[in-house]
Amino acid sequence: MMTSAWRVCAILCGGLMWSVSSSAQEARPVHPANSDKVSYAALDALPDWRGLWFPAIGKVGGTQPALVGEARKTWEAHQAQLKANPRYEVPETSDNCEPDGMPSLMTFPYNLEILFTPGKVTIIQEALMQVRRIFTDGRPLPPREQLDPNYFGYSVGRWEGQTLVVTTIGTRPGQRLGIAGIVNSDRLTITERIFLDPANRDLLHLEFTFEDPEVLAEPWRRTHTFRRDRTWEQIEYICVQNNRHRIDEKGQTVVPRIN
Amino acid sequence: MNKLTRLLASCAMGILASAPAFGHHSFAMFDLTRRVTITGVVAEVQWTNPHVWVYVDVPRSEGPPVRWAIEYTSVNHLTRLGMTRTTIKPGETIEFQVNPYADGTAGGRFQIMKLPSGRFFCDVGAVQQFCAENNK
Repeated sequence: MMTSAWRVCAILCGGLMWSVSSSAQEARPVHPANSDKVSYAALDALPDWRGLWFPAIGKVGGTQPALVGEARKTWEAHQAQLKANPRYEVPETSDNCEPDGMPSLMTFPYNLEILFTPGKVTIIQEALMQVRRIFTDGRPLPPREQLDPNYFGYSVGRWEGQTLVVTTIGTRPGQRLGIAGIVNSDRLTITERIFLDPANRDLLHLEFTFEDPEVLAEPWRRTHTFRRDRTWEQIEYICVQNNRHRIDEKGQTVVPRIN
Repeated sequence: MNKLTRLLASCAMGILASAPAFGHHSFAMFDLTRRVTITGVVAEVQWTNPHVWVYVDVPRSEGPPVRWAIEYTSVNHLTRLGMTRTTIKPGETIEFQVNPYADGTAGGRFQIMKLPSGRFFCDVGAVQQFCAENNK
């Protein structure tokens, strides 16, 4: 039970915090994506990416990753385990309904919905209803050290003709990079080029370039293709609705492994 | 199966076939090299994500029936394959094929079921081929 003196203090402190946050708010820039001067008419020049985009089978290409340091050792250890036991599964944190984050959410085997608003592209992955925002209003990428590493990172993009070119930094270290068994460091930069197939407008191409000096000796390119479906809308996906995997005291998934 | 469903099924098949790409929920507790057939009475359908669960009472020659827990894929994948929350209902007798639990627990990962109509319904993945061949 709070004494009345404490209650007065709490109210005063709350008021003080409110005024601090509102004065900080005034100093914040309004980026073009949220400005009242930006026009929706500009969107007419963009390509039609409506519908849902399902990953296409057998359409993953690119180069082999040139792993270095710990990343290479970890990869080799997983491969040795797999060789000894074909039922071995590389342990991954996303078992417990955590979002995949970048870059894996782009290629998870459900689908993507891509929305254009002035100065911004929003991508929704159906699995776990993951949302990422790509700012196309010309704002600069913030310095890496100013970012609080998170699942989706910070993405800025620009249109090169009908191709969306996106740069992402600031993802949490330890997320899956490309394939199970490889994870990123805090130095990862992801570049994406996303465009419709010139010969078939119901195919969308995504070209990733991963650059991470602590994991990769050279840029790693991976390419993916998606097929458009105009008949479905996304279906709700609440992973915690009936998740059976227990979480331990460190927030890690306890997965029954009978290997 | 219409063309779209088949396309989506084959789509899911290709991706799920490469097991490490399927990250979210482990299937390591199941013996994916074995498939067993059981017939029982549906006790409960949990039409939920991340996975659908169906509980089935399987009769034995002696003693009470054994309740099997069958784990399906997500509502999302099943919906796009044509299953709904009422495709199978409590009280119906259904034949299932599952990858059993490796430790002998009564249950498994869903593969194929024979619906009261006589048609088969198959999981996403390579087993879609079975439905394509048997539902002509």
